[in-house]
Amino acid sequence: MSISINHVSKTFNGFQALNDIDLQIPSGDFVALLGPSGSGKTTLLRLIAGLEHPNEGTIHFNDLDFTDKTVKERNIGFVFQHYALFKHMTIYENIAFGLKVKPRKLRLSKVEIQKKVHELLELVQLKEVADRYPAQLSGGQRQRIALARALAIEPDVLLLDEPFGALDAKVRQELRLWLRELHEKMNITTVFVTHDQEEALEMADTIVVMDNGKIEQIGTPEQVYQQPTNAFVYSFLGRVNEFRGDALERNGLEDDAIGYLRPHEVVLNKKAFPNSYPVKVNHVHKVGAAVRIELKRLDTDHLIEAEMSAEKFRETGPFQKGELLYANFNRMVIFQGETARSAPFAEKIITNVN
Amino acid sequence: MLPKKQTVHTSTKGKKQPAVASLTKGILISLALLFLGFFILMPLIIVFMEAFQKGIELYFLSLTEPDAVSAIKLTLLTAAISVPLNTLFGVVAAWAIAKFEFKGKNILITLIDIPFAVSPVIAGLVFVLLFGSQGVLGPFLEAYDVKIIFAVPGIVLATIFITFPFVVRELIPIMQEQGSEEEEAALSLGANGWQMFFRVTFPNIKWGLLYGVILCNARAMGEFGAVSVVSGHIRGLTNTLPLHVEILYNEYNFTAAFAVASLLALLALVTLVIKSFVEWRTRKAHC
Repeated sequence: MSISINHVSKTFNGFQALNDIDLQIPSGDFVALLGPSGSGKTTLLRLIAGLEHPNEGTIHFNDLDFTDKTVKERNIGFVFQHYALFKHMTIYENIAFGLKVKPRKLRLSKVEIQKKVHELLELVQLKEVADRYPAQLSGGQRQRIALARALAIEPDVLLLDEPFGALDAKVRQELRLWLRELHEKMNITTVFVTHDQEEALEMADTIVVMDNGKIEQIGTPEQVYQQPTNAFVYSFLGRVNEFRGDALERNGLEDDAIGYLRPHEVVLNKKAFPNSYPVKVNHVHKVGAAVRIELKRLDTDHLIEAEMSAEKFRETGPFQKGELLYANFNRMVIFQGETARSAPFAEKIITNVN
Repeated sequence: MLPKKQTVHTSTKGKKQPAVASLTKGILISLALLFLGFFILMPLIIVFMEAFQKGIELYFLSLTEPDAVSAIKLTLLTAAISVPLNTLFGVVAAWAIAKFEFKGKNILITLIDIPFAVSPVIAGLVFVLLFGSQGVLGPFLEAYDVKIIFAVPGIVLATIFITFPFVVRELIPIMQEQGSEEEEAALSLGANGWQMFFRVTFPNIKWGLLYGVILCNARAMGEFGAVSVVSGHIRGLTNTLPLHVEILYNEYNFTAAFAVASLLALLALVTLVIKSFVEWRTRKAHC
């Protein structure tokens, strides 16, 4: 089912949670709503679900106006951040809930319900827990049951609110892959909320970057990462070094100019080279395929993070803690304008900072 | 002050406790027990002793004489009306307060506490001023020949007023703690309002609700002040158990007074037993 959100605004007690949102989600898409806390991403998801209603604007499902429809009428599957499993019911009863509350005419027979619940338990690979209670499961298991419960009613749209937020790193990684596979298999239009850019980049087909109740950019993971439309998107996706004020040598730049530089774009050398600045190595993290180096600029005392592959590290380095090096920031991207935070990318100036 | 190491060990079972700590513990426990025994246990025992002083026969006779029976009936009737009504109001009010944001919410919470804050006698007087023959609605009620004050409706009204906060107060924190996620999940799975309440909300609050209902019932049967003002003390007609006890006592009919009082004491004991069972269940449900 395709979803179309047109000029939607939402206010809570005078707080503008969403401001004139326009978003088209084609059928079968896998969309991440990505943003910091307070950006309005969860509100937008709850508006799509019908758990909240917009103050202005309309929401269409398959070109039909669903703005005033209740949650029940929307046929959505909603997965909550903290699972929201029914504590007093067994896992079996939890999954069967949506099937059992249907009006008698539409309800499946007992045997059919049983069959369906067992199919779903198999789908989420948790056949053995049917008779247990939610409190007896681990976080990852609970989240899979919450998903099975949402899928039981055969929803047209699957909505997930920070689905892996409360899980530890390893389980999160497993579930990401698994959910991605599940989407490929079932092809339900899926929207999930996350504040984790890595999660969004890894899972989604489309990323919607949000901040302060507004959409900053919509695009594929590659587009938002490689061609961010403004400074906010640039700094929110991936690690960055921020240069402002006296850290930035301004040649004709305005006072509010901000420069951003990804750690892997910091060029390091043991000897001075053109446009390089002296830096001191504060710390070296060597775990993993990439080496992260914390540096301190000797001229301005600012801290800078650099990153390089382990191989490159061995070639140019290896650097020791306390060692004096030279760094160059030529690939810095500078945003300026009235509000540098939202200045369009087109105004960027790639410059030699000297 | 004791060294840190030692204080750590006092909490471990089986280890020898420092003399000072064990002495303090002993004194505190015996003080608490002494106080409890003197002010709570002793009166309770005396009630039963006095009640049975002149034999079991007289005990049962004082409970089965017509005025006593009518007092028991009226007390049961009052509780049977006020407890279910307050349960219903309690759930509705707690739901509104815990799950919705609205203007005047704090005022509503304060209003709910008024029956706790106001002296029961004042509560009774308010009803007299409202429904009595000299009261605001008095002439209107008289015109339709409706009697509230010095009649059963007044007693029921006063009891409802006095016992209103018990269920609400018990439910608000439970409902707030649980939030609305499970209810929202139920709605998203296609449940309607009733299905959501009976299948999801109610199972989550049932022990808290029962706890509130028990306390509400105990107070409804035991209320004296407010009921005393509106009742008029008409024997066999508007006397509840506590009022009946007072009348018997004032007539120096001690054995009968204590016999009836023992019924109320028994009610209190039963209430406590159910209460601790419910508390135990609630703790279990939270683990």
